[in-house]
Amino acid sequence: MHSRKSALLLVPGLAFLLVGFLVPTLLMLFSPPGTGAAEVFARLGRMLTDPYDLRIIWRTVRLGLIVTALCVGLGFPIAYLLARSTSRWAGVLLALAIFPLLLSNVVRTFGWLVILGANGAVGQALVATGLVDRAPQLLYTELAIVLGLTQLFLPLAVISCYSAVAQVDPGLDEAARGLGAGRVRTFWSVVVPLSSPGIVVAATLVFAGAVTAYTTPYLLGGSGQRMLATQLYAYSSVTVDWASASATALVMTVLVFLVSGLSSAFGRKGATA
Amino acid sequence: MNTRRPVAAALAVAGYVVMLVPILFVVVTAFTAGSTLRFPPEGLSTRWFEEALGYEPFLTALVSSLQLAALATALALLIGVPVAVAIHRGRIPGKGLVEGLFLSPLIVPELVVGLALYQQLMIGFGLDSLTALTLGHTALMIPYAVRVTGASLALADPHVEEAARGLGASPLRTFATVTLPLLRPGIFSAALLSFVTSFNNVPLSLLLQTREFRTLPVTMLDYVQQSYDPMVAAMATLILAGTVVLAVLAERTVGFAKIFGGINR
Repeated sequence: MHSRKSALLLVPGLAFLLVGFLVPTLLMLFSPPGTGAAEVFARLGRMLTDPYDLRIIWRTVRLGLIVTALCVGLGFPIAYLLARSTSRWAGVLLALAIFPLLLSNVVRTFGWLVILGANGAVGQALVATGLVDRAPQLLYTELAIVLGLTQLFLPLAVISCYSAVAQVDPGLDEAARGLGAGRVRTFWSVVVPLSSPGIVVAATLVFAGAVTAYTTPYLLGGSGQRMLATQLYAYSSVTVDWASASATALVMTVLVFLVSGLSSAFGRKGATA
Repeated sequence: MNTRRPVAAALAVAGYVVMLVPILFVVVTAFTAGSTLRFPPEGLSTRWFEEALGYEPFLTALVSSLQLAALATALALLIGVPVAVAIHRGRIPGKGLVEGLFLSPLIVPELVVGLALYQQLMIGFGLDSLTALTLGHTALMIPYAVRVTGASLALADPHVEEAARGLGASPLRTFATVTLPLLRPGIFSAALLSFVTSFNNVPLSLLLQTREFRTLPVTMLDYVQQSYDPMVAAMATLILAGTVVLAVLAERTVGFAKIFGGINR
């Protein structure tokens, strides 16, 4: 195909990308209405020293790391068992793990309101056992957010780990076993290192998703456990404070770019090693 | 599952519980006869399904959501397929950069894009909600179209198309009779992914909503905040049923894992 002709195929796409994404995003971040870049960066500077803002940033990063660890810790075993299984149920179980990705976040998160709410299953069960007189506050806590985000992003971790583990030749497991390594040692010194690129992809996707998710901290964290996403919404739609909204958006964007950059740096290092 | 790996099996079971049990609770709650979100549910009835299907804001929002998802999906494919063809078949400089640019909406947090479009296009430019939402959803779906159809193009042998050209077919005829059929599974996967992603989207739809135009997920979030009855559970169960139908359709046609395989690699 001719170079000029194929470039023409890009024109509608570029136009849409510029108008529907790039230009508005750059203008919002660096030149919000009524203020300017200087004000956004000044607000950003105050944000990084203000205890209230810092608490929200730290909560977002901390919960993001916990959720990432949980998703990789639970998702890798699922991927490993499914990839190594010869059972005909493995396909069904894999589909069950992927299916939630198609399902609305609102639907998936809503279940936790029934489980953790004041009249919810966990609270009622605890009262019924006689361990406590009144159901403890479970909803609108960091625990609720962690559970909700883990549910949301675990399928992503399973898929990324699965495609990595499936590429590791099961013959290598057997070779390690044959050379005298135990099951546990084979897992940690053969399977895990060889599928580490998939684990890194999984961790990156989960972390980036968890620190930017809105529905979960909104429904399960409430206004008491704000994260960057719920704070960003409050700045832009409740108080309409454009400089603060842009500064919060910058923090979120930089956070995501940072982990993506680290992850691809790791990928390159892995490729050349 | 393997019983010779007890630790891995226990973790896997815990993972499935976290992923799936909350969804079961939604379904069980939807069939309650009582009027609060309590567990165990008080009696069995379908009254909340009737309420949900008779609740005007949910129905209006459902139509809006379907409309928006169909529009954004069609636009994203119309725009994204030519881009995928240019990247994989054309001779353009800086292919990696071009592809990166078209995938970039996937990296920027959706809430940030939503805020940008709300502030710059709706407030700044006076665009109405449907136009801004269509622009935003399309921009977010373009990466799916480019990457998923690109993946099936990368697998197809370019010599087939060259042979068609060599036998005298025009570029347009080659595209319509050779390239497009090769792309069909990719286009189907991309369409399914973008439709579902657009339908479920919260961050953009939340920030770009108006009283006249709001999507179903946003309307449901709003409802949960005001009232604590099981009607949302019933609506959620209906969405679940619709999603299951789509998933079965996807599994029967192109295969589930393949659809998502395209976007992660």
